[in-house]
Order: sequence, then structure tokens, then C-alpha cells
Amino acid sequence: MRVGIVDYGMGNLRSVAGAVEKIGHSADISDRIETLSACDKLILPGVGAFGDAMANLAARGLVDGLERLVRGEGKKLLGICLGAQLVTRRSAEFGDTNGLGWIGSDVARIDEAKGVRVPHVGWNRVRRTRESVLFDGVPDDALFYFVHSYRIDTNDTEAVVGECDYGEPFAAVLQKDNVYGTQFHPEKSQRHGLRMLANFLDRA
Amino acid sequence: MLCKRVIPVLTFNDGVLFRTKTFVPDYRYTLDFVDAWSADEIVVLDVTRPGAGERANFEAVVSEFARRCFVPLSAGGGVRSLDDVRRLMAIGADKVVVNTGAFERPALVGEIARRYGVQCVVGCVDARKTDAGYEAMVGFGARSTGLSAEAWAQRLEADGAGEILVQSIERDGSLQGYDIELARRVRAAVRVPVLVASGAGNWKHFADAFRDADVDAACTTNIYHFTETSIASAKMYLSGAGIPVRIS
Repeated sequence: MRVGIVDYGMGNLRSVAGAVEKIGHSADISDRIETLSACDKLILPGVGAFGDAMANLAARGLVDGLERLVRGEGKKLLGICLGAQLVTRRSAEFGDTNGLGWIGSDVARIDEAKGVRVPHVGWNRVRRTRESVLFDGVPDDALFYFVHSYRIDTNDTEAVVGECDYGEPFAAVLQKDNVYGTQFHPEKSQRHGLRMLANFLDRA
Repeated sequence: MLCKRVIPVLTFNDGVLFRTKTFVPDYRYTLDFVDAWSADEIVVLDVTRPGAGERANFEAVVSEFARRCFVPLSAGGGVRSLDDVRRLMAIGADKVVVNTGAFERPALVGEIARRYGVQCVVGCVDARKTDAGYEAMVGFGARSTGLSAEAWAQRLEADGAGEILVQSIERDGSLQGYDIELARRVRAAVRVPVLVASGAGNWKHFADAFRDADVDAACTTNIYHFTETSIASAKMYLSGAGIPVRIS
């Protein structure tokens, strides 16, 4: 399978590609919609600021391009970390910025007033709230590696299939139609992370 | 609940693994030594003195770890510019550790944070014990910042460091346990996660750091080189002591 990794100038694309290759597929890192269009599935990775990410996507024609591929043609896409946040409606990071809007949740800063340190860094438990193919073969309450200062709210209850607690519950795993997302980094979460990535690539 | 992290820190001189302090090269090093499936993260540091080796040899190490270990990888030592960061990120590092570079050019941390996010910058506090408290040092521990460890940590945080790694110059390689007082002071001074290093000699020292200083991660440069299962053993001990850790 050819997996298109969306390159919009942000994030550690090499580790995602490495994990995809480890699972046994080929990875095309590209910012060209023609190349991504020829891929079987897409991964939208990313670390950094939401506003910059949307601006970078727009500058490469990828906001419209991904809308066409994912919403129009039904190509399956997995957003990772910032990439998962980008598929929501909007983020409050540096003033409100609209996202791709495919999931009906919003993104806000983790609340330090709940007695937690920000960023949320390290291994935390993911509790499944709905069935999803992403969880096949992954034990309930498995640990995954998170590193983020903003989090996706749980408002879109149809899309949120896994939650994590850090001061308060937030969305850790998303699935709605052909759009998937993980707030944590499956490519950095060893066995269970690789399994979840393989579930997206081989079973979704 | 967020788990406490156990992190091996590996120091390299011209691409060869060295144990700190003793500075004896360890050619037995293989990736298996770090027991990659139990380590929560891996930190690799280039301790090559300027002019004493090729950066490419360290970058080859980073590259190899990134390719083989599916856990977060931090790289540091000699990070002076956004270009240095770009190169490390391109070969698979997830975070960079900065200390001297941030002192010599105060804009550095902010530049990295703006470009890659605060989670990408680990600010390093290299502390020396003084009569008055702790002094933050740079340049292989040889130059004073003129700031206390707490003040240097706060400056790194204010500039955009997402985590603080605190090391003790006296305890480094001592195996006598972490400087708990130092870790406590730095953790109280900042609001971001704090990683403690220098001095771990046995599993109990990790438990002490988690219980007595409430640090977010305990790092070690030494004891993991001894056997291939040491991290897993450390985790079992910590779990038995009631500390939440990831047992894979």
C-alpha cells in the first residue's frame, strides 16, 4: 500500500514514515495533491502551532485539496497530534483559527488550573468510549505517548472513540466516517502505537 | 494517570558512547543496550569538544536511534542555531536539548519554540552547588551564567522551553543518588514538566526522586549499560513502590 504523508513544513515526518515502513507499506512524503491523490491512505502528522499549520496547508493548496480527497472522494485520513486537531472546527491557540472542520469538536489550551503541568508530556492511558477498528488488538487502558499543550474537547460524541484524562477528560482518539485521529503519537508509542497505526493502514 | 518516565541519557564523544565522568569509551554499545522496548524516551547528547570530532558521527547515532526506536528521541549537545535543530529534526529527533547555546544567544529557545512548538525544546539546567544554593553553569560546566539554577530554569521556561532537564555537576557519575533539594527547587520554580538527571546508582534513587521531589521523569547515564533488562527491572521496582510507570 502507498501511504501519503502530508508535508506542510511542520513536524517529524521521518518518524511517521519510519513507522509506516516498519508496518510494511511504502510512504510518500509530499505536499503535492497529485502525489497524495495517488496514495491509498493519508496521514496528516504535525507538531507546532495550529494557526501556522492551517496557513501552511492553505499556502500549498492543501486545504481545498484535502477537502476534495477526503470529503469528496472518501479517502481515509489519519491525523496525528496537531494533525488530529486540524480536522476539528477551530482552535483557540493564538486567537481563534478555523480548522478543516470535519469533526465537530474544538481545541483549547489544557487548563493548568486543574492542577496539571503544561505541556502534557509522557505516557497516559486511553479509555475507549466507542468501538473503533483502531482499537483492534489493543488492550483497554493501554498507554500512549502524548506531547501537547492544547487538547480536543469531547463534544463531538459521535467522533470521539477514546478519551484520556489530564486534569479533565479530552479526546484522544477520533473516528468519524473516513476521518481518524489520535492526539498521541502512535509512531512513538511502541507496540500499541504501531498496532493502532497498523489498524488504520490494514483494517480501516 | 500520567506515568512517571524513566529515561536513559546516552552521551557520545565523536559518535562513540561514553559513560560520563569516567570518560571510558564503551564499544560494546548496541541499540539493545538501551532496551528500547522499556525506555519511555531516549536522550542522546553529543559531548564532543569543539574541534575534537565530526558532527556527522553524532548525527549518524541520532539517525540510527530514530530508525530503530519507536519512542521519543531527544538530541542535544552543540545546538546553537535553528539550522542545527532543523538538521536534528530532519534525521528523526523529536526534541532538542539546549543549554550553552541558549545562554550565548538568548533568542535561540524562542526561535525553536516558535518554529517547532514548546514541546520540542528541553531546557537544560546544569547546576553547581554553592554556599548560597545552586548556580547554573554552561560550557561543559565550566562557565557560570551568573544565575541561580531556579532563575536559569525560569528564563528557559519563559523563552519557550516545554520541559526542564536539571543536572547536578557534583552528583554526575557519583551513583550516590539525585540531588533532591536541587530537583525540588527547580520544580517549584517552573510550571512545565521537570526531568532530573545525575547521580542515580540504584532503583531506589528513582523512587526517591519521584516521591521526594515529585519530578516528572528520572534520567540516568549509567546503570542501563549494565544489562539489557535493567529498565524493565527498574520499572518493576517502581511499580511495586506504588509509583505509576509504564510496564510494557
